[in-house]
Amino acid sequence: MPAELKTVGKAELRKDAWDKVTGRAAYVDDLPREGVLVGAVVRSPHHHARIVAIETAAARNVPGVVAVLTAADVPGSKTFGPLVQDQPALAFDVVRHMGEPVALVIAQSKEAARHGVAAVQVTYEPLPAVHDPVAALEPDAPRVHSGGNLLTRYEISEGDVATGLAAADVVIEATFTVPRISPAYMEPESSMARWNDDGTLTVWVSSQKPFEDRHAIAGVLGLPEDAVQVCSAVIGGAFGGKEDSGLPVLAALGAWATRGTVRLINNRHESFLAHPKRHPARLHYTLGATREGELIALKAVVHLDTGAYASYGPAVGGLLTEMLAGAYRIPHVQVETNVVYTHSPFSGAMRGFGSPQAHFAIESMMDMLAHELSLDPLELRRKNALRPGDRLLTRVTLDRTAESLPLILDHLAAARARLAQKPPAPGRVAGVGIALGMQSMGLGYRVPDDSTNRLALAPDGSVLLYIGSPDLGQGLATAAEQIAAEALGLPYDAVRTVDVDTSVSPNGGVTCASRMTYLIGNSVMLAAQGLIAALLDYAARTLNVPRDALRYEAGAVITAAGERVALGEFASRAADEGVPLVAEATFSFPYPEETTPKHLPIGMPHVMLVFGGQAVRVEVDPELGTVTVTDVVAVHDVGQVVNRAGVEGQIEGAVAMGIGYALYESMRLKADGQWVDSFTEYLLPTAEDMPQIESVILEIPEASGPYGVKGVGEMGLVPTAPAIANAVFQATGVRAQAIPIAPEVIARPLGG
Amino acid sequence: MKPITVTLTVNGQTRTITTLPNKTLLYALREDLGLTGVKDACGGEGECGACTVILDGEAVNACLVLIGQADGRSVETIEGLAQDGELHPLQCAFVETGAVQCGFCTPGAILAAKALLDRDPSPTDDAIREALSGNLCRCTGYSKMIAAVRRAAEEMSHAR
Amino acid sequence: MQEFDFYAANTLDELLRLLAQSGGRVIAGGTDVLVQAQRGVFPASVLVDASRVRELRFIGQDGETIRIGALTTYADILASPLLRETAPALVMAAATVGAPQTRARGTLGGNIANASPAGDTLPPLLTLDATVRLVKRGGERVLPLAEVLCGPRQTCLEPGEIIHSVAFRRPSQPTGAAFLKLGNRQGMAIAVVNVAVSLPLDDDGRIAGARVALGAVAPTPVRSPRAEAVLYGQSLNDDVLERAAQAVLYDIAPITDVRGSADYRRKAAVRLTARALRLAAQQIREGAQA
Repeated sequence: MPAELKTVGKAELRKDAWDKVTGRAAYVDDLPREGVLVGAVVRSPHHHARIVAIETAAARNVPGVVAVLTAADVPGSKTFGPLVQDQPALAFDVVRHMGEPVALVIAQSKEAARHGVAAVQVTYEPLPAVHDPVAALEPDAPRVHSGGNLLTRYEISEGDVATGLAAADVVIEATFTVPRISPAYMEPESSMARWNDDGTLTVWVSSQKPFEDRHAIAGVLGLPEDAVQVCSAVIGGAFGGKEDSGLPVLAALGAWATRGTVRLINNRHESFLAHPKRHPARLHYTLGATREGELIALKAVVHLDTGAYASYGPAVGGLLTEMLAGAYRIPHVQVETNVVYTHSPFSGAMRGFGSPQAHFAIESMMDMLAHELSLDPLELRRKNALRPGDRLLTRVTLDRTAESLPLILDHLAAARARLAQKPPAPGRVAGVGIALGMQSMGLGYRVPDDSTNRLALAPDGSVLLYIGSPDLGQGLATAAEQIAAEALGLPYDAVRTVDVDTSVSPNGGVTCASRMTYLIGNSVMLAAQGLIAALLDYAARTLNVPRDALRYEAGAVITAAGERVALGEFASRAADEGVPLVAEATFSFPYPEETTPKHLPIGMPHVMLVFGGQAVRVEVDPELGTVTVTDVVAVHDVGQVVNRAGVEGQIEGAVAMGIGYALYESMRLKADGQWVDSFTEYLLPTAEDMPQIESVILEIPEASGPYGVKGVGEMGLVPTAPAIANAVFQATGVRAQAIPIAPEVIARPLGG
Repeated sequence: MKPITVTLTVNGQTRTITTLPNKTLLYALREDLGLTGVKDACGGEGECGACTVILDGEAVNACLVLIGQADGRSVETIEGLAQDGELHPLQCAFVETGAVQCGFCTPGAILAAKALLDRDPSPTDDAIREALSGNLCRCTGYSKMIAAVRRAAEEMSHAR
Repeated sequence: MQEFDFYAANTLDELLRLLAQSGGRVIAGGTDVLVQAQRGVFPASVLVDASRVRELRFIGQDGETIRIGALTTYADILASPLLRETAPALVMAAATVGAPQTRARGTLGGNIANASPAGDTLPPLLTLDATVRLVKRGGERVLPLAEVLCGPRQTCLEPGEIIHSVAFRRPSQPTGAAFLKLGNRQGMAIAVVNVAVSLPLDDDGRIAGARVALGAVAPTPVRSPRAEAVLYGQSLNDDVLERAAQAVLYDIAPITDVRGSADYRRKAAVRLTARALRLAAQQIREGAQA
């Protein structure tokens, strides 16, 4: 542990928090209202229908309505999409899911916009719809896209699974079902766009990827990218769901068409229906082992429901495939993952990106196997846990990061023993379950996976940090400022982050994939070296001394005579002279040859992994089947902690999300054909539903990380749901193979 | 719809607005009075608490109060919590405890907590959980919010 | 938000006059009306605000009769020593409604007028044999609560008629009462099933005129005459309480919805009733010791 760290690892307070506790923080809907037009979207009431006609004349005549736009008004590309350009800005010919945008009304007031929406007459011819990813692959299933309903299939195998299963002493088989989850960030999607007199657009977004939004907007409007400026407002949470350009594209279209400023805010219903969800999935696992509990073979067939549009579905399917075997070494593995279109609201990126689905299956299977073999589930995990040097399913060789697994298991053993001592409340039964988790960092091999950031010396001697990827609320800017301050030997307060603006910020890439503190941190450290070099160059010129007579130390230039000249003196002088003291640096994810061979079986395998595990105690009301999570001990290796409150906040928030995944949340299709699309029926955990959470943070440094940092954004939720299901089994003997765990599955039969 | 004129006290100041009657206190505060610290996260269904304000001493969801119902009443919003430039202990505690992440639920949660501390200066953890049970948060898992309320209560009891 | 005109009443007379003139509907705490109006499904084009009619916000005693004004909030109920003494199940129910923000605004009259099958205060009021005073311009009537609730989200209220207050008799014998609710989460839950019971004992220690009422298991909250019959005249023992709980199955007709299946609701109704009866019995025993 480098003991000399001055800012990294210290309890610095996030600077944006002051604006957030006083109500001053400006999210998109808080930007000035004067002269801003209101956009409202006409949405499909059907799961699948042919659009016969769209009649907009009546809507255009509604007082206060400025424009009514349909796909025919889209000047550039009619569709967009991050991986597959299949998502229409406004639907044409057909609608493929309920809530799909069909027309855009721009008006002078909300009232007028609402009347305008009501006055747009769309004639639909309803068509049969399919909502199940297995049924959607039947030959006679209704087609979502003309190319068929299979978006992507991954098939990989290692060893010989048939031989492996035949050699096993015991083989268990099960099907798991995991639900459609809304990221349910508190701020629904929002965007505002202004047409500028010079023929350019300025667009304010609540987005994880302003630079990709710029690309999508330019494409749909047929404008050059440099005619579009995208600025990040304060973001009210994202969790992957704000990796979608749908709303920015529509706001920009409205501004372009009206030559005005248009704001578009989704309400919660729209957010449910028309923004990315966590993929629901069905996972069929067959696992074979020796009598002693050594894993031999795993066969898995997975169907992921990607909904009506691809979004990041192919990539989610890829990562899920990589994670299928969890944190375990299994010699024979055969996997088939199907990413399937259905007429459901589309799925895309969400925290964990396929890993939570896979872990619910494998971590449940591990406990089922332990039960079958009368072994301790923890010892079964210890026996089979990955080790450094193991080759993963992707043929990537695991590095030293797996050294954390035995430590994690030791902590889980202690936590389990402690939690098992607690007696249940009267009438309840208690159980303690554990699960391990593995999560990748970064986007994966062969995908551009870098981040560029800039440091600039301000005239007052403070440092401006231009991060190229937005802070979603998780505290990315704080971590980056701490690393910049550390690298420059400055106090934390001397570094200030400038919000992302594509016209001035470097392109930092999408904020996602547990990679930002690692990537930005590395890039900022490089930029700090550049800034120090620029400063010393300037100081040498100014003082008229040889450059190598000077050195930089903690906010000052030290001369050969040992004199300290404060940074601020050069900063103000350089500013007066118009000399910019700036440095920009790019850091790319390393893919060392020794771990990442050239030929890999699937598209974009990840080489950097982080591990964690959780022990969960539940109390179950055996008559009613209700499950209360009373304690969670979350053990995670995060590398060097930059900001403890921030790390704990990531883990605690992720555990809450994992509890919701296990027990409450599901965006179901109801019997009346409508989706669950409100917080009345889609239940998030409340303050009264949360257990005591104890975070055990292991700081095993990552050699390639800034000061040893690893990623922490996603993995906190990966083990939670299976650990809860395992705890419920320990308490009741009932194995829940579907989440959210329905109390009626757990409840004792009447009279029982 | 016939517009209505409403006079109410907001953060100690008398304000009069004329607006359509189907506007809720939430949107009257946001749009007519420019107080955008009050948020809409559930679509006006009283399910998230992001629009929590204090109405005549009680924490309420501003999305479920019609502006006409607020006539003659007194409203306290997050913008009015600091006194003479001094932040309320809850505001400081939320920052210092790390209870703020994306911040969208923060104003509502702070006001729900203030209504609690105004009537119960030393609440139990269960009372804090109950007071915050109407304020959804997706980022924090609530642990640090609960700790922040506890910390503010302690600070305030020392100050007395 | 749907469109409507808005009038505010300051007195009961004014409220009734405005309703009669406008043909509008009452809004009070707004916790149900505005949710429906937000979705554009509230059946009214005029709203008359009753929230400042002070005459309708009271909790009082009139001889042996307890009266609660329609504008009494859940928070008011929770804070009332009189109700804690005379209607503990109602207080327990009020504590489970929504979150503090809802309890500060939502009213007892609103819970009745909304007529949700899952309305939490309705089973306790049924166990109290509560009557509802309905008033309109030039008339009033008093009906048992069960006659006011005529279907899911339907009441027998006539145009221009409002809920004035609820009344019930203070229990004359030692009585145990309880309310239990099963929700899908701890905070802010809508009932999957809720149950209220009251167990009055006669001088011989036998159950005299028990009441068992359940919510979210039928089109309206319902009493269970079969369970009540099992309890009638019996002494307090667990076997009787269990048999009574099983008997609720004959009086409920739950449906399957997003919150739970009909089968699960049947199971939960029995288990919750058994627990509520045991809780009520325990209260009596503890009361007898005190």
